[in-house]
Order: sequence, then structure tokens, then C-alpha cells
Amino acid sequence: MEGRYNLKSPAVKRLMKEAAELKDPTDHYHAQPLEDNLFEWHFTVRGPPDSDFNGGIYHGRIVLPPEYPMKPPSIILLTSNGRFEVGKKICLSISGHHPETWQPSWSIRTALLAIIGFMPTKGEGAIGSLDYTPEERKALAKKSQDFYCEGCGAHMKTVLHPLTLDSNSSRADEEAKELARQISFKAEVNSSAQSTTEPLKTSSSNHSFATVESQLEDLPRDMQEESPQVKAEIQNTTVSSPEEHAQPVPAGNIPASPRRRRTQPQSDRRVSASPGLTQAQPPRMNAGSTILIVLLTLALAVLLFRRIYLANNYIFDYEL
Amino acid sequence: MAAEEAQRSQETVGDSEGVNCLAYDEAIMAQQDRIQQEIAVQNALVSERLELSVLYKEYAVDDEIYQQKIKDLHKKYTYIRKTRPDGNCFYRAFGFSHLEALLDDSKELQRFKEISAKSKEDLVTQGFTEFTIEDFHNTFMDLIELVEKRSSISDILGAFNDQSISDYLVVYLRLLTSGYLQREHQFFQHFIEGGRTVKEFCQQEVEPMAKESDHIHIIALAQALNVSILVEYMDRGEGGATNHHVFPEGSVPNVYLLYRPGHYDILYK
Repeated sequence: MEGRYNLKSPAVKRLMKEAAELKDPTDHYHAQPLEDNLFEWHFTVRGPPDSDFNGGIYHGRIVLPPEYPMKPPSIILLTSNGRFEVGKKICLSISGHHPETWQPSWSIRTALLAIIGFMPTKGEGAIGSLDYTPEERKALAKKSQDFYCEGCGAHMKTVLHPLTLDSNSSRADEEAKELARQISFKAEVNSSAQSTTEPLKTSSSNHSFATVESQLEDLPRDMQEESPQVKAEIQNTTVSSPEEHAQPVPAGNIPASPRRRRTQPQSDRRVSASPGLTQAQPPRMNAGSTILIVLLTLALAVLLFRRIYLANNYIFDYEL
Repeated sequence: MAAEEAQRSQETVGDSEGVNCLAYDEAIMAQQDRIQQEIAVQNALVSERLELSVLYKEYAVDDEIYQQKIKDLHKKYTYIRKTRPDGNCFYRAFGFSHLEALLDDSKELQRFKEISAKSKEDLVTQGFTEFTIEDFHNTFMDLIELVEKRSSISDILGAFNDQSISDYLVVYLRLLTSGYLQREHQFFQHFIEGGRTVKEFCQQEVEPMAKESDHIHIIALAQALNVSILVEYMDRGEGGATNHHVFPEGSVPNVYLLYRPGHYDILYK
């Protein structure tokens, strides 16, 4: 790999170092660059033992910007897990509106620990987050072990060291929790989302579905998701204790946004007949109102034009 | 004509919808990027040394408060070197100004080199990850060696205007500041607002790039490296003269900075 990259580039230098540092899997995490691209890594993390993700082994991609480590990495989960949407970019928050901001002295290891630490926290309708029930999460955790990644050839059953209970391992656990308190995840708006119900239904035997992104989810919905209100929710809920995660969120607690409704636990979702119905509604309403506005404007124009024509009849001497 | 009008109104409808479609946060970030780019085109990271009189032109002729204060400043200083207003200006201004002064002070240079070389170990002992901070530290030491080799000012200026070198220096100075604040957290805790711990403050206001610096950052960095910094404060306040403050108090300054709300530049006697 050394030959193909400019070793003077700070990002290359740093990533080489991180690749060496993370070469050997631990019992909690493993990450390595793809063979043909130092700026794309695949990672595997173990679900926190004291949570619904116990026994889960989750796989994903990390995409590094050319400015790394001055800019944060983006993280994409490939295994259904019930906490993060699959195939959707979540990145460490870099927005100036959030107190939690990427630091150049953090590393890919920091990001991995942050994911682990963040799994048992509440999704609370944050973008890219899911609030599945504990049962669903446990089922997914079990299923996750069968995942095989065609991209990097990792079998989830063998990629991590078996869980040990030594001091190193519990230190990593502690670090993960500590990081989860500091860091917030935020989805990138331009990467279109999976439909909510999909992760549950899709077999996790390969991850190609992750890239087939649902085109249904277009901009108008993103607009509603990103309303300041929702943002505030995200900010307020970054520090939530791990014990809270299993509780289904009381409905009246938080202003219901379209996003909020989407991330209700599965039982609620089943009530709303087909996924297409709820999902497509906001865009359809929007398109409808646009067409209405255009039509009315045109009608107005025709009336105005006719009025002008009538008023100036004597000047224009042709038939309409 | 009316048809035209209709079309125009149609366009406005389309436009406003387009704006709404963009997520607020992303739109703000995109705008910030644009502003940053504009600032970058107009300002070097660290400029050439300029006559202090360039300041007069930055304010309206009838802006008496500032014109008077610049006049007063002119009695004490002759030149100014400007830095890019990107939130990192304090660190860049401090770094350049001190290294430039070390060109003519080999004794201080040796002391500074020693303290800088050792600083990484201190950070690692405090819990910073060695392999992530060593690139920043190496860049910092390379710059000090550049001074040791008695390179020309233009070489040093060149390095400071190379974005990746310059930013790595800023990262390291931020780490030093954060490290010192955390080592002395019992003292600094009293000065932190918003009920945050020193560690939280460092993670939110010191270590991330582009976070602006206040008194507390300056005191910490000055003490971490044992370098005395004088800041001339120029704002709309009454008095006709700038106020200055030396960090740490009572020391003999070797770095002179001009502060105008939100920004630091380098001053020369």
C-alpha cells in the first residue's frame, strides 16, 4: 500500500499509523482500511455486554475525508442493529451549533468506542437513529453474528477476539461510555435514508442493500427533519444514561415531528398500514400544493391578461 | 407583461421552496464554508509585516474612538502582521511571533526547544493518545528546528502559510493549552462558566479547531510554555488609548499582540 500514496500527506501518514495501531483485533473492536483504499475502512464492534446489544457483532464502513484528521470521519453501519439506520452516513457532529465537536487528536479508535458507547443511548428521533424495542434489538443482535461482509471478507463469528473479562476489556467499556457522553452523532442530510421498516425485514446475509438507497425519501422530508426543534431534541438528549434505553418513549413528551413518528417502536409502526403510505405523504402533499400554486398563478395570469386585452381592445387589432 | 409577472411569481415560489428544502443546519454549514473561503482568499494565514498606519484605513475617518486609539497605539508600535480571522488567529499569531523573536535569541531558543520537546511526554502522561498527538508535536518541533537553522523569515512565513503545517501547529498549541488547563484544573475551575468541568471546557472550547481564545486560553498557553504575552486591547470603550494586559502578570513580554473584538494580530515595536 505504501507505494501508492503520498507519504508526505498528513492524512496518509496518520492513517498508516492508525492502520498499524489497529492491526490486531481486540475483543471489542477491529478496523482496517480496504486493500485498495486507505481512505475507506471497514470496522467491526461488539455490542455492549450490559445492553440489548449483548452478543451482537456489528459491521460497518468508515469514510475518511482527505483533510483527516482535521475533519471527522463518516461512519456507516452495514448490520441491522435497531439503534442506527443501516446504510446511512452518521458522522461525528461537526456543526457549530453543537457543543460536541470533532478534535484532531481523536482517532478511528475513538470513533469505534464512541459507536459502542452510543448504542445503548436513546435514539430520540435523531436523524439516523432508531428506537427499536429491546426484543427486536436482541433478535437483531443474535442475527448479526451470521453477517458476512463481501466487501472485506469478514465473518462476524471470527473477526473479533472472544470476549474476555480482563482489565483491558473493561477499560475499553468505560472509555466507550465516557465518549458517548461527549460525542454526538448526526446524520448527513445528503445521504438518503433506508426506509425504516427495511432493516428488520431484510436478510443480513449480504450488505448490498445498504447501497440501494430508497429514492422515496426525498428532500422535503429532510427539511422537516432538520427543523430547529428536532435539532434541539438531539442536543438535549445526547447524555442519556444506559439504563433508560429500554423504555419506550412516552408519546406526549416530545413534539411530534414526522421524523418522530417514523422512529416509534415497531408495534406502533405496524399499525400504520404500509410503509409507503406514511413515508410518501409529506412529499406528496408538498408536490400537490406546488401544483395548486402553479395552477392558480397561471389562472390569475390568464385573467389578468384577458383583462388587459379587453381594456386595450382598441389598440390591439387582432382576434384572440 | 402579466404573463411575465406570473412566471416570475412562479419562480419565486420555486426558489423559496428550494431554500426550505435545504436543511437549516447544512445550509448554515455551507454558508460558513463559503465565508471561510472568502476570508481565506482575502487574508493570508500570516501576512507580511506592514506599517501600523494601515490600520487608519480600516476605520472611517470620522470614527473618532478608533482613529484616536490607533494614533495612541502608533506611539508604542511601528509594524503589524495580520493573521487570518479563522478562529485560530491567537495560536497562529503567538506561534509566529514567538518563533520569529527566537531567531535573534539563541538562549531563549534552547530553553523553548527543551520545554517543547518535553511537552509531549507530559501530555501522554495526562492521558492524551501518543500516536495521535505525535504528528502535531513533530510539526511543532520541525518549526523550532527551522528557526534553529537560522532560516530566513520568508521560510518561516512560508511554513506558516502552508495550511497543513500551520494547522498542525495550531492543533499542538491547542493541545498544550488544554493540557495545562487540565493539569491546573483546580485553579482554572473557578473561571469556567456554564457549570462545565475544565475537561469539558477543553473539549468544547480549546481542542476543536476554530474555537476562539479568551483570557483563560492565553494564560494557560503562556504558562505552559513559560512565554510572556502582552495583549493590547482595542475596542469601542472610552479613554482614547488601548488597554494592555501582560500574561502572566508582572512578566517581561516577548510577544506583542493586538486584540480587536474577536481577532488577534501581531504587533512590533
